[in-house]
Amino acid sequence: MKRTAILLLVTAFAGQAMAQQLREAPITPAFTPVSWDRLMNATDEPQNWLMYSGTLDSQRHTYLDQINRNNVDQLEMKWAYQIPVIDRAETTPLVVDGIMFITEAPSNLVAVDAVTGRQYWRYDHELPDDIRICCGRNNRGVAILGETLYMSTLDAHLVAIDARTGNVRWDVEVANYASGYSKTAAPLIVKDKVVTGIAGGEFGIRGFIDAYDAETGELAWRTYTTAGPDDPNVSTWSGDSWRTGGAGTWITGSYDADLDLIYWGTGNPGPDWNGDVRLGDNLYSDSALALDADTGDITWHFQFTPHDVHDYDAIQVPILADINFQGQQRKVMMWANRNAFYYTIDRTDGDFLAGKPYALQTWAQGLDADGRPIRAPGMEPTYEGVVVSPAIGGGTNWFSPAFNPQTGYFYVNAFDGEQRFFKRDEDYEEGDRFTGGGGQYIQAMDTYNSAIRAIDPATADIVWEFPIQPRSTAGIMSSAGGLLFSGSVDGYFFALDASNGRELWHMSLGARVHAAPMSFAVDGKQYVTIAAGNVVYTFGLRD
Amino acid sequence: MLRLNLLQHRHLAACLPLLLAAIGSVSVPAVAQDEGNLYDTPFDVSAGESYFQRQCTRCHGQDAKGNDETGAPDLTGSLRRASSDAGIFSIIRQGIAGTAMLPVPIDTPDPTVWQLVAYINSLRTDPANIDLPGDPAAGLALYNGKGDCARCHMINGRGGRLGPDLTLVGEQLDPEELKTALTVPDEDVAPRWWTVRVTQRDGSVVEGLRMDEDTFGLRVIDADANLWSFRKNEIDSFEVNQSSTMPSYTRTLTENEIDHLVAYLFSLRKEN
Repeated sequence: MKRTAILLLVTAFAGQAMAQQLREAPITPAFTPVSWDRLMNATDEPQNWLMYSGTLDSQRHTYLDQINRNNVDQLEMKWAYQIPVIDRAETTPLVVDGIMFITEAPSNLVAVDAVTGRQYWRYDHELPDDIRICCGRNNRGVAILGETLYMSTLDAHLVAIDARTGNVRWDVEVANYASGYSKTAAPLIVKDKVVTGIAGGEFGIRGFIDAYDAETGELAWRTYTTAGPDDPNVSTWSGDSWRTGGAGTWITGSYDADLDLIYWGTGNPGPDWNGDVRLGDNLYSDSALALDADTGDITWHFQFTPHDVHDYDAIQVPILADINFQGQQRKVMMWANRNAFYYTIDRTDGDFLAGKPYALQTWAQGLDADGRPIRAPGMEPTYEGVVVSPAIGGGTNWFSPAFNPQTGYFYVNAFDGEQRFFKRDEDYEEGDRFTGGGGQYIQAMDTYNSAIRAIDPATADIVWEFPIQPRSTAGIMSSAGGLLFSGSVDGYFFALDASNGRELWHMSLGARVHAAPMSFAVDGKQYVTIAAGNVVYTFGLRD
Repeated sequence: MLRLNLLQHRHLAACLPLLLAAIGSVSVPAVAQDEGNLYDTPFDVSAGESYFQRQCTRCHGQDAKGNDETGAPDLTGSLRRASSDAGIFSIIRQGIAGTAMLPVPIDTPDPTVWQLVAYINSLRTDPANIDLPGDPAAGLALYNGKGDCARCHMINGRGGRLGPDLTLVGEQLDPEELKTALTVPDEDVAPRWWTVRVTQRDGSVVEGLRMDEDTFGLRVIDADANLWSFRKNEIDSFEVNQSSTMPSYTRTLTENEIDHLVAYLFSLRKEN
């Protein structure tokens, strides 16, 4: 009887919501469909932010310069959008012709007016009660092609949503959430495909990168990130450990149209902290992969941390640029890794060009001529615990770095932390955590140094740093106005001079910043947007 | 150098914000009947620990003392969201809406959850099981007399403002930790009780407790409990000292007296 009443009540509410949707039939203003040609030439329309990192080379650099060193102190808040589900916001919104698309925790999406923050429509993805997620109910952004948005969801689905109305075009299951798979990162559009990764490295998943037909949702190719029996590199895994070897792909990659290569990072091997059950280098965990855009075949790989036992995922956004390296113009990929080393890599063939620590590290004695780490003895996790730098969170983590073509510097939020690393014996059970250990801070967070560090990619040297207290887990955006924008866990949003790190402006937003900034313009006015706590804030110059 | 009598243990200071945040929370309705935990043998505690190590340590830490980075609370002291076994069971089973505390997987058997309850209970020090050498009444006399503790610390709203409030210190630190705080105060000093020396551009110096420091500013409490706020880009320099301002009581109290003081401080808990 009671159950029937509840069912009727739920049905009534669902009916109400549907009726409201039918009554309101919300729709955005029309916009020019975002073609692949527009995405490839995103720098030609800096008023729009068309993908997670701004451009396919992922420099997270806006070519807008209306807000610049001379006037950034006149920034004021224009609007705030409150995310209704309380969790932490890690989103980078997109803006297309004055319409902003914001993803929310756990797996929702909203379209708002980019000038006012007022809502057009919202899409709430229905999730099962028993999702398996390692580290919070997050979503970091969407991709757009034509008039369709593509979003990852925590139940490991990929959903195509009509950008004008929020209606679902298709919804595919990428993997079984009950086995520990989930999805949090913004997909990347490459030609007519939606390229997307997977999370679940703490649940003994087998990682992969997928490409789906943007129109139909049909799987075009899948590339596994733990080498299986069809790959000679299966020999880098003892026994069948590749089956539960992790190597998630939970942040967005990059694309080079000239080379027709997709670049994507991979996460830790599983179990994270007990390498005894997966002897060998464990390819392709903790690696940068260059994939043929049409087939997904691995053209080359560069493994930052062979046989990782500290959870040093190579889950960073690969930044692509052409730079002068020792007198020659080189196509490079820049990468500040979670393992606390910075790398400049030739992106045509994966050759190591330069690398040095950019944050405190004790696990390696350095890098050899090929960029392979020379391990320091006694740094593997033990049953009793051993203190190692960097901490599990790394010298940096997933949050976006940036590159400024004018200064030629690469910028990263760095953390000089340490933790006591433990290992334990653990059997794999599908859907359960499979980490084989863990870590524990041994001092207060205030004890450690944290800073935005500017790195010269030609030498891997740190050029300047701006100290942050206690630390930052935010992304960085560079601008043609000579600025860097970023945030910190003490709730500040701030702007620095990109050439020397001098503080130019800051505002307290009252909550931790976990997201990365982006910029756009409407009617000739530039804006900067950042999410902090559960709020998305947009700033512009004083009128 | 400012020297004050303070009890400045990191665990105490670290716990307070989370515990205070929990006070105003909505209590989770218990779905389990509170008829006691049938799974509380040493074997169950051990099984619960194994489950905890695997599923819970990423947020709550290997020692269950919480984690500033994840916001997960310390589970070794009093629990503000659950006051019974059934309450703990329900939180584990249902999670806490609006927080990062997720429910255990839906297919987790009830006995496993009860074993986890047993393990969490085992983390707390039950005062009834502890036979301390000191006398709480004698400790109270020392607190107000020879120890001069009230000059810096408050209990139930009475005392100084230059040290941590000790009203519930018995729930937050065990006797061993209390003794360490009294005898080796530099062992584990929470950042709130570090000191800072600020040199202003005119050469004048302000020194005191580092109430907080962020990326752009510093706030300092001087010996007269005055609060000073500085923007980092408007001062000449600053130095942080991570040692405690509380002197070790090994110089002023006998071993027996320290035992009395520990007994008194350990008695400071909600039920008393």
